[in-house]
Amino acid sequence: MPAHILVAEDQTDIRDLLVMNLRGAGYEVSAVGDGEQALARQLESPADLLVLDLMMPRMDGLEVCKALRAKGSAAPILMLTAKSTELDRVLGLELGADDYLTKPFSLAELLARVKALLRRADLLAAAQANNASGQQKVLSSIRNGELEILPAKRQVRYRGEAIDFTALEFDLLLHFASHPGHVFSRAQLLNAVWGYTHDGYEHTVTTHINRLRAKLEADPMRPELILTARGAGYKMRDSP
Amino acid sequence: MTVRLKLALTIFATGIVTALLVIAAVIYAFQRFEHETTYRRGTAFLGRVVANNDYLFETFESEPDKFRGWLRNMVLFEPDTQLYLLALDGAVLATSGSAKIAPDFKVALKPVLQAIGQPDAAYVMGDDPERMDANAVVAVQPVRRATMQAGDAVVGYLYLVLHTGQLPSSEPNDGRWAALRMSFGRPALGLILAIVTVTTLAAVLIIVSVTRPLQRLTDAVATISQRGLDAGLTDAPQSALPPATRDEFGQLTRAFEMMLATLRKQWGELRRLDHFRREGVSNLSHDLRSPLTATVACLETLDARWGHHGSEAGADDRRLVEVALRNTRNAARLVQSLGDLAKLDEPEFKLHAEVVDVGELLDDIAVRFAERAAKQGVELVAEHAADEMRPLPFAERAASPPPVAAVDIELFERAIANLVDNALKFCPRGARIALAAQVRDGKVEVSVADTGPGIAAADLPHLFDRFYQSRQSVAPATGEGGKGLGLAIVKRIAELHNGAVSVASVPGEGTKVLLSLPGNP
Repeated sequence: MPAHILVAEDQTDIRDLLVMNLRGAGYEVSAVGDGEQALARQLESPADLLVLDLMMPRMDGLEVCKALRAKGSAAPILMLTAKSTELDRVLGLELGADDYLTKPFSLAELLARVKALLRRADLLAAAQANNASGQQKVLSSIRNGELEILPAKRQVRYRGEAIDFTALEFDLLLHFASHPGHVFSRAQLLNAVWGYTHDGYEHTVTTHINRLRAKLEADPMRPELILTARGAGYKMRDSP
Repeated sequence: MTVRLKLALTIFATGIVTALLVIAAVIYAFQRFEHETTYRRGTAFLGRVVANNDYLFETFESEPDKFRGWLRNMVLFEPDTQLYLLALDGAVLATSGSAKIAPDFKVALKPVLQAIGQPDAAYVMGDDPERMDANAVVAVQPVRRATMQAGDAVVGYLYLVLHTGQLPSSEPNDGRWAALRMSFGRPALGLILAIVTVTTLAAVLIIVSVTRPLQRLTDAVATISQRGLDAGLTDAPQSALPPATRDEFGQLTRAFEMMLATLRKQWGELRRLDHFRREGVSNLSHDLRSPLTATVACLETLDARWGHHGSEAGADDRRLVEVALRNTRNAARLVQSLGDLAKLDEPEFKLHAEVVDVGELLDDIAVRFAERAAKQGVELVAEHAADEMRPLPFAERAASPPPVAAVDIELFERAIANLVDNALKFCPRGARIALAAQVRDGKVEVSVADTGPGIAAADLPHLFDRFYQSRQSVAPATGEGGKGLGLAIVKRIAELHNGAVSVASVPGEGTKVLLSLPGNP
């Protein structure tokens, strides 16, 4: 069964092109012209993924996002924005959007993002189903020296201390810890953890590695846990 | 030296000089008075002596010893005074003193004749036979014989030498001059010094209070220089400048206020214009995005459709769509850069700085561009200072610290990526692009060096200007001129990091762009 996508975009030309191309890629697509309709439609018959324009009449993309998350909707949201600042970016992601694209974007990129978001949602649903049925395929805990990760509880203990991480930081750490000694380039990490395939966002990975090191390493400039493989990428040290 | 100090010193020096001149004038006047009174007394005394003693010269001729005794009696009560009888040629015939006088000594006759010829003269200075100098006040009367023999002829002179005490004396309280020195000298000098000091202090106080507005104005101007034209503008309009007084300083202050007001007006105008310009560019860039998005999407859809279905349209039509797509994408990139630059220009823009090993970041950027570089046959490497050394003991490592800096990772990567992108655009197959970071003088220097065609010297100064279009350099890869905003964005990012960007290039050999950032302390 093809995934159902709801497109909310006030500019008819762009909306039609989005619908045309998403349909062409094999998705079932419905489209609305403003935020209010988008919210109503999604609450009435939930789509698997939403593509929201940030600037829309009556109710903008962020408000739709907030309202949907408040009502417990977990469908991934891809935000389209004409603003390209990091502020908007952070705002978009913090208010519950899962990914964003700045206009003008390429259709190939949009389709790749949609695909990645749907895949991630599927994986998450599968993991939750597994959890619910008690079949714990996911390892109950990962250890690397004094680092202990409990994936099910999304908890990390290092040197006996519980450390808080944001969702993405945790995902990144989990990815490293699941493959100790394996070197990942930033592009690979971006794809694996963020689900992005697009060039130009690698700095996000650097920032997150920086934050992991700040939280875990005694001297972030001389890391002992998350190591740099020069000219190749990053890795977690082998389990001792 | 401050104006205040200069004024105070001038007043002090003037006071001292005035006091000294007054002292000199008083001393001179007193001395002259002393000389005059002494002279008059002496002359009057001698006049009486000559008038009362008719047979002076005869007495001398007949009884010289008796005459000498008489002379001595005449000046018995005047200790520092001697009376002489002189011959017409100035030779000393008799003296009241007991000191030996050189036999051939002759008193200079000029003062003698002057004293006789001008009885009104203030005083006359003449020789003192005992001391053989001309430092004494003298009184002279001509001596005649009592019996008329050869007319009224003068046969000699009575010569009175009067010391007024300016010469050193063996006695301590010697005359009024010494008394004057005692009473006037030391206490007066102290008094004068005290008066000069007091007046100087008073003058300093006056100077300070008079120049205080100047000081305040200077402070205010300094504040404005430090904090910019807006200093004092937000709290209270005039708080930056002192209140205007009624004098010249007040005029200066008011003139300054007016100048400041004009400057602020113009500055505000400029800022408003700049704000409109930025906003205009930002809005334009924003408004262009939607049509560009639609156009790109249309062209991509067409392109994809023809790609799938093969030869529905002619090869020419496909090429047209490709050209349209490529150009639209370039336009989109330009619009994006324009919007980004407007954003970076905003005064409210804030960096999200993180402390990071810049060398590591360069590695990652090299990895990011590796594929494209390989495709173009260009060697792209991130070099490390440590590479040239052997495996290092820890101490040596510490000697070359890692290039750590606080940077906004997204912007910094954008800047380096722009530089690498530029280098890749211009470098021919076989060229080499090297990224390097090192710490020098507490700064982190990041360089992007290529062995490409280089940049004409005429273009170098304008390279980082917005929309500067080089006439010489046309990128072989894209056919585009060296226009655009990539380097302007690099410059702006460097500025936002309190850093600087510079470029050195030798045509035919290569180009090196140096990005200098403040190191992390």
